[in-house]
Amino acid sequence: MKISEISGKITAFMTLTALIAGFILTVTGKKDDFSLNENRKLVSFPEFSLTALTDGTYGKQLNQYITDHFFGREKWVSVQADINSYMGEKIMNGVYMDSKGLLDAEVSSRKISRKNIEAVNKFFGNYIGTAYFTAVPTTSGIYGDRLPEYLMTNPEKNQIDFLYDNLTDGIRTIDTYNILRMLNDNYICYRNDTRLTSYGAYYVYKTVIQKLGFRPSSYDKYTIKHITSDFRGNLYNRCLYNGTEPDILDIYTYSGGAEVTSCTAYCNNGMTYRKTLNDEKFLESGDMYRMYLGNEEPFIRIKTSVNNEKKLLLIKDSYADCFIQFLIQHYSEIAVVSPEHMEKPLSSFINPDNYEQTLFLFGIDSMGNENLFDLINR
Amino acid sequence: MTYSSLLFIYGFLPVSLVIYWITPSKLKNISLLILSIVFCTVNSLRFLEFMVICTLINYLDGILIDRLRSRKIIPEIMLFTGITFNVIVFFMFRTDFLDIFKDRLKIPDTFFPVGVSFVTLTAISYITDIYRKCIRAETDIIKFSLYMMMFPAIIMRPVIRYNTFRRMLNDRKITVSEAGTGLKIFVKGLTEKVIAGDTMYMLYTAVRSVDIWEMSALNAWLGMTAYMLSLYFTLSGMADMGKGIGYCFGFRFPNCFNYPVFSNSIKDFYYNWNIQVVYWFRRYIARPLYEICGSRIYRKIIFIAVWCCIGMWYRFDINGLIFGGIIGLTVISERYIRKFRLLKITGIIYTYVITIICMVFLSGENINYSVNYLLVLLGGSKMFADSMTLYIFKYYIVFLLIFIYCTTSLFRNMIMRSGNDYIIKAIAVISPVVTILMLILCTALISYTGSSEFYLTGLQERSFFP
Repeated sequence: MKISEISGKITAFMTLTALIAGFILTVTGKKDDFSLNENRKLVSFPEFSLTALTDGTYGKQLNQYITDHFFGREKWVSVQADINSYMGEKIMNGVYMDSKGLLDAEVSSRKISRKNIEAVNKFFGNYIGTAYFTAVPTTSGIYGDRLPEYLMTNPEKNQIDFLYDNLTDGIRTIDTYNILRMLNDNYICYRNDTRLTSYGAYYVYKTVIQKLGFRPSSYDKYTIKHITSDFRGNLYNRCLYNGTEPDILDIYTYSGGAEVTSCTAYCNNGMTYRKTLNDEKFLESGDMYRMYLGNEEPFIRIKTSVNNEKKLLLIKDSYADCFIQFLIQHYSEIAVVSPEHMEKPLSSFINPDNYEQTLFLFGIDSMGNENLFDLINR
Repeated sequence: MTYSSLLFIYGFLPVSLVIYWITPSKLKNISLLILSIVFCTVNSLRFLEFMVICTLINYLDGILIDRLRSRKIIPEIMLFTGITFNVIVFFMFRTDFLDIFKDRLKIPDTFFPVGVSFVTLTAISYITDIYRKCIRAETDIIKFSLYMMMFPAIIMRPVIRYNTFRRMLNDRKITVSEAGTGLKIFVKGLTEKVIAGDTMYMLYTAVRSVDIWEMSALNAWLGMTAYMLSLYFTLSGMADMGKGIGYCFGFRFPNCFNYPVFSNSIKDFYYNWNIQVVYWFRRYIARPLYEICGSRIYRKIIFIAVWCCIGMWYRFDINGLIFGGIIGLTVISERYIRKFRLLKITGIIYTYVITIICMVFLSGENINYSVNYLLVLLGGSKMFADSMTLYIFKYYIVFLLIFIYCTTSLFRNMIMRSGNDYIIKAIAVISPVVTILMLILCTALISYTGSSEFYLTGLQERSFFP
């Protein structure tokens, strides 16, 4: 027998074993419904239907199912992230991987939606109080210089400027970009997430609260509690890259200050329940960041022991979750509204005119989300 | 389901191989046909319907031409109807002209990646060959269906003539070492597609992300080189994967590409680029026309026109036409300048420049963009290099060099010419290890998305795979 034949046989044997083993392991492997590391629901086995088969979606779903439940999927994905970070460009699934931290590489393809701007302007037109708008940069804005230049054709600074320029003059815009850029040697952003740390949020608070007419509490008044040092955020979920250090989650408490007296969440189906501001049970879930403010609900009413009758309406996305802990020293009531989780119009929860101040606080990346503000207007 | 998806590699492929190998040899054809039907169905039921209709019409047409040969004019009418049907199919899926039909049929997008254009060419070659009495019509519907819709050939088929196929079908033997060779070729194709094709495509998109007039000349050259390599590796990878699977089922398909990039001359380029497709156009379009008009000047015009057709087959618009036209024109003019060539390297550089110009037309979304890109290549943006060039060099230069080496026949020639038994043995020992390593690497690289798509479609709707 010639050597090439032996080699062929060995190749056939080894490759086939690998393919069949891959098949068997995938089919017999344990099927989870949810991936903790990717923080998303995994696809379940597609239901057979003639329409799905006719238009080809069945095949796609089947491939997605195999992909989601492929044996050792998370290991494979982190190996892919490692390969990508060693060879060629350090980009995987739209995430730029760097040992200093992960960044969203798709920052330039974001488009600030005009529909959102119009909705905010319209809200202001009907509103009798004062409205403020803060667009918080993401890590890709604060550490933009770490990204390759060609990905920065539309930097976040421009996106924020565009947004502020197009808001009605009466809305008071608050710039946090410059202060955060200035502080970017500090731990103001997570390494594995697009959002700010509590420390970063403190500086946002310091800037914002002055505009809202208060004196900010000084930093040394706070007791800082490290909750975990194993936090992996939304950017990690997309690439499972282990080359960066996990992040630390902190809770800031103001010693001797006002306290939360009640915190009530209002669900879309009309249910209400009491919750705590920070909930450590979420450290066991796929999304540790939920530790701030718990489950995402359309509307949360926070009442504090502050005795000044001041009320704030905060319309926000998840960037504000760790920011709220600083506000409780200043308002007797804070109404927290998350438009992305609303299924009913805002007026079915509250009347905005009962609040003399409204603060919009959003990560600039949410502003590309077309239908974000569909329900805030009557 | 493309070949480069997890569902195929770790689902359909091993299952179908096992089923096929345990089927008794009498039923092997049927089992392969059933597997192909399953493959088409998973892509979408519509696709299966389309393939079945196409197969039946061409099958009946072939038989009718053969049986009614003695009658006057009827075979001609049948030939004409058959070709018209296939051409309409081509136009329906490759152009916007017949969108009304397409909308009515509710064709899903999973339909498109699969090479409808190849089916058209195959079918036309079959009925023309019968008309010309090169072959008799196939009466066995199973064999003919395999010719049209066999799954190892369905995505990027080498357009082989029916008599060649029939020979393959009847004399096929499967041995373990043959299957080993097949799997090796399959993994090689997968590597070409997933590692080389996709990486080069990323480089190309990086270059393209900048506004055209802000692109420096060097970037433009690098970007277009990346596009060329990406196109080559994607097509050749898909063809190799099909070829490898074919080997596992006992079919020895020919190579579709024979190291065309960085040839000595455009003539070499076109002889080795998508060999069977170019051959098809020469045999079924150019040759009959040559027979009609014998004069030399007409022949040249026909040659260029046929190349324009090939260009349009890749891409049905003015860009495709120009792409084909350039190749046709240069091949004609090459005959005159060939005497002046001094060194081999000048030939390679000249071919490279011409192919890059061709790629500019093949890649641009419209003629305007392509012309602008051409100007930038010539330094129209008044920048030779910029910071991005440095970035590209930092991250891609090693890849570029390795991939360029892989597109040439240097490695193959080294082994062939060395005649050294030791090297051949060493390669035989290494190849199983390399195969399995590459399989693991490629699996990791597609593990997140689950498949490596035809990225080249992202740029323009009706490019190579409509």
